Amino acid sequence: MDAIFHAEELNVNYERTPVLWDVSFSIPKGLLVGIVGPNGAGKSSLLKAALGLVKPLSGKIEFLQQPISRVRQKIAYVPQRQSVDWDFPITALQVVLMGRYGKMGWFGRPRRADREAAKKALEVVGMASYADRQISELSGGQQQRLFLARAFVQNPDIFLMDEPFTGVDLTTEKEIIELLKKQKQEGKTIFIVHHDLPTVEEYFDWVMLLNTRLIAYGPTSEIFQAANLAKTFGKMPTVFDEAASLCAKKMSGYL
Amino acid sequence: MTPYWDCNFFTFFIVMIQRAFFFLTGHAEALASDEIQIGVLSAVAISCGMIGPFLVLNRMTMLANSLSHTILLGISLAALAAGLLWGGEWFDITTLLAGSFIAALLTAFCTETLTRFFRLQEDASIGLVFTGLFALGITIVTLYLRDVHLGVEAVMGNADALQLSDIRLPALLIGINGVILFVFFKQFQLASFDRSLAQTLGIPVGVFRYLLLFLTAATCIGAFRAVGVILVLSLLTGPYLIARLFCCRLTALLVWTPVVGVASVCIGVALSRHLLNVHGLALSTGGIVTGTIALIYIFVKIIFHFRKKWQRALFSV
Amino acid sequence: MIDYFIDPILRAPTWGCMLMCLSSSLMGVIVFLRKKSLLSESLSHASYPGVVLGVAFLASFFPFAEEWAFLVVLIGAFGSSLLGLYGIEWLEKKGKVFPDAALSFILSVFFGVGIVAASALQGSHPSWFKQVQMLIFGQAATMTDIHIVIYGFLACFIVLFLIAVYRPLQAVLFDAGYAHSLGIRATWLERSLFSLLLISIIVGMRSVGVILMSGMLIAPAVAARQYTNRLPIVFFLSGLFGVGSALIGHILSVEGSLHWSTPESRFSLPTGPFIVLVSTAWALFSLCFAPKRGVVFRLARIFAFRLRCLQENILKYLWKKKSSSSKDLHSLHRSSLFSLHWVLRRMVRHGWLQKKCGSYELTGDGYQKAAQVVRLHRLWEVYLTHSLGREVERVHKNAEEMEHILTPDLEQRLTLLLANPKKDPHHQPIPDKYSL
Repeated sequence: MDAIFHAEELNVNYERTPVLWDVSFSIPKGLLVGIVGPNGAGKSSLLKAALGLVKPLSGKIEFLQQPISRVRQKIAYVPQRQSVDWDFPITALQVVLMGRYGKMGWFGRPRRADREAAKKALEVVGMASYADRQISELSGGQQQRLFLARAFVQNPDIFLMDEPFTGVDLTTEKEIIELLKKQKQEGKTIFIVHHDLPTVEEYFDWVMLLNTRLIAYGPTSEIFQAANLAKTFGKMPTVFDEAASLCAKKMSGYL
Repeated sequence: MTPYWDCNFFTFFIVMIQRAFFFLTGHAEALASDEIQIGVLSAVAISCGMIGPFLVLNRMTMLANSLSHTILLGISLAALAAGLLWGGEWFDITTLLAGSFIAALLTAFCTETLTRFFRLQEDASIGLVFTGLFALGITIVTLYLRDVHLGVEAVMGNADALQLSDIRLPALLIGINGVILFVFFKQFQLASFDRSLAQTLGIPVGVFRYLLLFLTAATCIGAFRAVGVILVLSLLTGPYLIARLFCCRLTALLVWTPVVGVASVCIGVALSRHLLNVHGLALSTGGIVTGTIALIYIFVKIIFHFRKKWQRALFSV
Repeated sequence: MIDYFIDPILRAPTWGCMLMCLSSSLMGVIVFLRKKSLLSESLSHASYPGVVLGVAFLASFFPFAEEWAFLVVLIGAFGSSLLGLYGIEWLEKKGKVFPDAALSFILSVFFGVGIVAASALQGSHPSWFKQVQMLIFGQAATMTDIHIVIYGFLACFIVLFLIAVYRPLQAVLFDAGYAHSLGIRATWLERSLFSLLLISIIVGMRSVGVILMSGMLIAPAVAARQYTNRLPIVFFLSGLFGVGSALIGHILSVEGSLHWSTPESRFSLPTGPFIVLVSTAWALFSLCFAPKRGVVFRLARIFAFRLRCLQENILKYLWKKKSSSSKDLHSLHRSSLFSLHWVLRRMVRHGWLQKKCGSYELTGDGYQKAAQVVRLHRLWEVYLTHSLGREVERVHKNAEEMEHILTPDLEQRLTLLLANPKKDPHHQPIPDKYSL
């Protein structure tokens, strides 16, 4: 099985606390994967470490068996909505156009084809009429669709989405999932950090249960059940907790 | 005798337009001191207005404030080096630009080291760096550069003693800022809006941050003679805040911010002339321009506030 | 040295600076913990128009500068920086402006207005104008005894106030919302604190000037924070460092002035920059060398830890292989052979290894220590497989790290939890806990 997303003994610390500990997995392509776990469990950190935004303490994490610098063009990252300033003076179309910036090189300018692609992406997410709107005027659901359009315009093989459904109305959520399922049918792989447990079985083919450690991962029908969920959302076993945080402190020289 | 010797606020503009007309139709006359003031200050306002939006959007304005203080150290080091190494002029353009480069590098490097390596919170890092480096700058100036007047004028500038030659540096900076912002517009825009996406797309955000700081330092030095290091901050921040009240597209803002800056300059200089002629008060024109920016902000804010009220009233009717 | 405190000319600047820095360093702790260190920069600049207007007001009654009257001007300064503070809050809340842009805008605009007012004063009342100029750059040297009284009073008031409100202050600094819900009058407390902050900034500007004032608030607090986590000690240390920097900075500036002066030209080094340089240098020193948080010590600890890991890995290797040459051991250590030799020699010296016919072996003590490390490794593997459900193939690498980290306490808990296992997941025996 050719893994599209692969990690080996990944350890990531945030200052003196461990956020990811000895995480290893291998995910095949063409799936809609949910990353689930309690708050502060390292889910966002997993995406950030994969994209090279955060440097892991040890271990490795790769897409398509290659380091991130070589496969940037194939990955679309949809960060959490609050990571962006929505008062920024920019229109919806311009935000979507940003998805193409990675392909333009240092001195390139957006061309007609890029603009057409951006408009098309807006149509696909149902935001065509908002193209020239200032982004501060958009609702939560519309902002999320905008981010999705920006991801589409990159024409990626892999989507990494961090909590795309927080603060989004149900209709938008359903529509976005439908769009993503269509992408999956075209052979793309999609990873979503998800916080809403009741919808996991409906949305995702595979699920990764993360609570600093990777508790389990695999097909949802097998993995997503009571015992694993108890381990994910229950209290961390105390010995592990202490040992892991001791490890983080030692590595950063605080103890 | 200046052609504006008898003007009040309104007749100032009339005389100015008249003279512009004469100038354009070939009656070359020497420029009056007020016009030189407007010219130089406008050049400063335009160069500041081009990078101001990016500074505000990247939350780097206090870093720019920090920079405007550490420039003293940069310039004094450059002046010392120029004096020691090649016996150069204290304040020619190369020394100043070198000084701004040193200042930008020092400030950015020290602040980053404190935040990343020493894990100190950002506000304290900025504060520690600029007070420390400024104190160092003053010490160097006092010990080695006593004859060179880097004192009060550096801090406050003197907009009332400008020559036409003072327009050279700000004009050069309009050029430099313009070219760099035009070529790298999309990188600056993306890095300011969504830093993590910029990084994932492979844009080196750190490089652009340093570049922005260097442009700021150079612009500050260009503004230094005219308005001084503290007031340059008002030209970097104020016009953007005003323009943002009525404009909401970055590309348009890059035009409107300098325009607002130039408008404040014209109004400020006219006001200064008015106060001199009508009330006999000889006041600092640089300070008046800054005050004008504040007044314009308040004025525009009030207009928009009432506009909203009237719109709501109209809708309910 | 004692002259600095007694001599009629020197004592006012000495005591004045020390007391002023005491006040500002205490208030600095509060802005530092609130992550609003740059507020002091804005407020010090914002006080400028108030000073000038106050002076202009007085100048209309007293044509020539009067030292005592100047103190009354502080009311004007307070008023205008209070206005600046409201401006900043308003811009952030109603104007939807970023905090740093609000600070910059108010800073520059108020200062600009101040400059305009000062230029008016320059023409009409030049002696008053000089007094105002002293504020921008500070002039500690011209302080008089009355300043000692004023600053002393202020410093005492601040210290007593902080002691009196300590409990609610601690709650508010940590979590203002929660404190409010407990019934603590958080808003009243915040307002009083900010007023005290303003006062300490304004009276302090006289000695170090407008621009450097924020340095006197930030640097001592940064230094103090590196030494302790307990709030009262942070306050105490900050005050101590502030007073110390003031004294040393002042002495340096006076001595320096004497040193560089010639009979023809009296050279006078300004006090402000020296005080700031001393306190900034101390802050940097503390960031590097403070016992627990200092960077140098952290790096040293990381190095010591890595050294220990290497030593324990060598012990384990020899436990399995019985004896080995240094070349074979090189596979454990990615750096130079020279440093490996250094480590091996050190281990021989400490009694863990012995050298026999050109290769290394464990001593009796070394054997026991190695067995202990192996025990921790295999215990951890059992824990990962049994309690955390890890696959057997994956536990080895993590155990390689954890074997160096597990404390005796954790080891005991693991032994109890796993019911003293005898075999690890790879069916290798677990050494018994070694007894002294």
